[in-house]
Amino acid sequence: MTSRSTGLLYIVPAFSALALVLFSPVFYGFWFSLHRIRYGTASEFIGLGNYTQLLSDPGMAATFGRTAIHTAVSVALTVAISLAIALWVHRLPPNRGSIVQMIVIIPWITSTVVATLLFKWVFISDIGMAMSILRMFGLPDLQLLSDPNSAMGLLIAVSVWKRLGYALIILLAGLKSIPEDYEEAASLDGAGPWDIFRLIILPLLKTPLLLIVIVLTLSNINTVESPLVLTGGGPGSATRILAIDVFDRAFVNYDLGSATSLALIMFLGNVLLVLAYVRLSKWKV
Amino acid sequence: MSKIKATGLALCAALSVTLLSPAVVMADTVRMWTFLNPAGTSPREVALAQIIKDFESANPDIDIVVEPQVWDQMTPKFLAAHGNRSAPDIIWVVTDFLGDAIQSGSLADLNELFINKWSEEKKADFKDAYWNLTSVQGKQYGLFASRNYIALMYRPDLFANAGIKPEDIKTWDDLKAVAQKLTVKDSGNKVTRYGFSAAYSEQQADPHPVIPHILASGEPLFTTEGKANFASDAGVKGMQFFTGMVKDGISPSQAATWTVDDLFEQFASDRIAMVQGSAVRVSTLQGKLGKDKVALMSWPGAVAGKPSPSVMAGWSVGIWSGSKVKASAAKFMDFMMSDPGDKIWTAVGGQIPGKKSTLKELENFISQPGNGYLAVAARGAAEAGWLTPIDFSVGGYRQALNRATQQIIVDGKDVKAALKEAEEHFNRQNGR
Repeated sequence: MTSRSTGLLYIVPAFSALALVLFSPVFYGFWFSLHRIRYGTASEFIGLGNYTQLLSDPGMAATFGRTAIHTAVSVALTVAISLAIALWVHRLPPNRGSIVQMIVIIPWITSTVVATLLFKWVFISDIGMAMSILRMFGLPDLQLLSDPNSAMGLLIAVSVWKRLGYALIILLAGLKSIPEDYEEAASLDGAGPWDIFRLIILPLLKTPLLLIVIVLTLSNINTVESPLVLTGGGPGSATRILAIDVFDRAFVNYDLGSATSLALIMFLGNVLLVLAYVRLSKWKV
Repeated sequence: MSKIKATGLALCAALSVTLLSPAVVMADTVRMWTFLNPAGTSPREVALAQIIKDFESANPDIDIVVEPQVWDQMTPKFLAAHGNRSAPDIIWVVTDFLGDAIQSGSLADLNELFINKWSEEKKADFKDAYWNLTSVQGKQYGLFASRNYIALMYRPDLFANAGIKPEDIKTWDDLKAVAQKLTVKDSGNKVTRYGFSAAYSEQQADPHPVIPHILASGEPLFTTEGKANFASDAGVKGMQFFTGMVKDGISPSQAATWTVDDLFEQFASDRIAMVQGSAVRVSTLQGKLGKDKVALMSWPGAVAGKPSPSVMAGWSVGIWSGSKVKASAAKFMDFMMSDPGDKIWTAVGGQIPGKKSTLKELENFISQPGNGYLAVAARGAAEAGWLTPIDFSVGGYRQALNRATQQIIVDGKDVKAALKEAEEHFNRQNGR
């Protein structure tokens, strides 16, 4: 037996177990989606019937569009804000830096449902703290969840607030890995702060930035807790994104056929994003 | 070798003694899915905990394990679990999915399991519209442990302060006039208390208050083929009534995204004087606010003296057809529906009694101040109750109507167009 085949033999049990746990639900889900689902069980084979029914839903294109907007804006804002905070914290004395990090990280380590409920009760509910303060100053109530645009804005705000801590930690780790000599040498050569940021820091943060973008994109596409707790997909369909659509199809309308099909389409999107990450992480600046 | 042989023999002997000994009795574990958590403190949760405790004391060989679930997802999850052969032994099924649950073959016949042992008097004591709903072709697929009468919940203290009596609300126009009177504004013309509201989020949705309007007109909510019939003249008129109250500032526009929990928070915070509310929620709210501050009345009618039909959603308890411990599950169900069980549900849990005899026996309790809602709900259920049909699935009808309301309130969509779209959405989702 060659050393190569011996090596393969060693990893077969672990790989089989991993494949069973990770991939069997996908294969089962795909098989399930090719059948008419009655009372939770697959009956007649209908090929791509569930997929065509799903894509012929007049609201589907808008749901994809809202998901793209929600994800793109949330990720862009989270990356921009976390980068700014990371650069600031990196230059703070260690004690003060730790305090800022702790404050930013708290929403990330808190359960999404709890964090969203807190956000709702404190900032949005008209019997909450923020509205009481507005009333105290004689200002009008803000009906943020009743307006389609502000409801989506709030959903994005919660997403940014919740995930900022994660992005900050990764970026701070990236910043700490950049040797101080680089900045010193650039300063001696006459480079200004903007040049140092643009030509030295940003390229060297490429890998953590890519990681953040991919992880945040996946996390925003798949998030169901925040819209469920905050808006329920409303008002109207203003905050109906893919994940909540899957949830509603499965657990509100009990349409498991189209719910499974949509979940698999989302899974495919997730796989493509991971492949993009693997590919881009090899990209040299 | 002889040492190994001796050890083997000893092990075999020990195993035989263990397996054959009558003293060793394995307890049956009965899994139950319900939205009530026996460790909770709401009246119904306390009632369930007491029933389980009493049952387990009398039956030490049976363990009841409650796995609390989110109420609006529980029945679809059960049906999916039935498909995977991993469902719980006892399940609480919501009326909207009762038809699916029965037709899927997921529920066992309770007649065979324990009801056949009941006397005819005992059966007659139970028989009502709820009993009939779960009785199909001689088989009984469930018994209602929670009868819900969804009507008009109000604050008697705020009524008294405004000099209003519940009897003043006889027609829909009366309701609007009273709601107008109960709406309070501050010096800056800002509303500090609304007269009436319901919750119109698609999540945790209660049946829409337009339904009593539609049913009072004699129009059905669904056609005989199971298609939605929301955009009838009565539906349009009813929806105009409720969204009109939002336009008039009597109901809050924020209700477009409120869940029922949000609604009751507002009600408990003195922000709303009347809400659409279910009988089963009264005791919980009374626990928070006081018995004198929460009461229930039937929906008004199109004409005075004839209340509109109210939705009687509820929870039918059944036994999973694939359960390995059907006999033990049946024993618990029988206990839960017994005379003492029904009295606990009513006196401790604040629920509408399931048996006519309980209603009679607890007459004094029901006539006590604050308990009048039980009589309102029991009378309303008997005289003006409506249960969703089980011949076809109606899952998603609450959400479809709520979505239409959101579109009217938020986007200013035409009422008829919004209801038409809701019909199409419901029919599409249900493949009709």
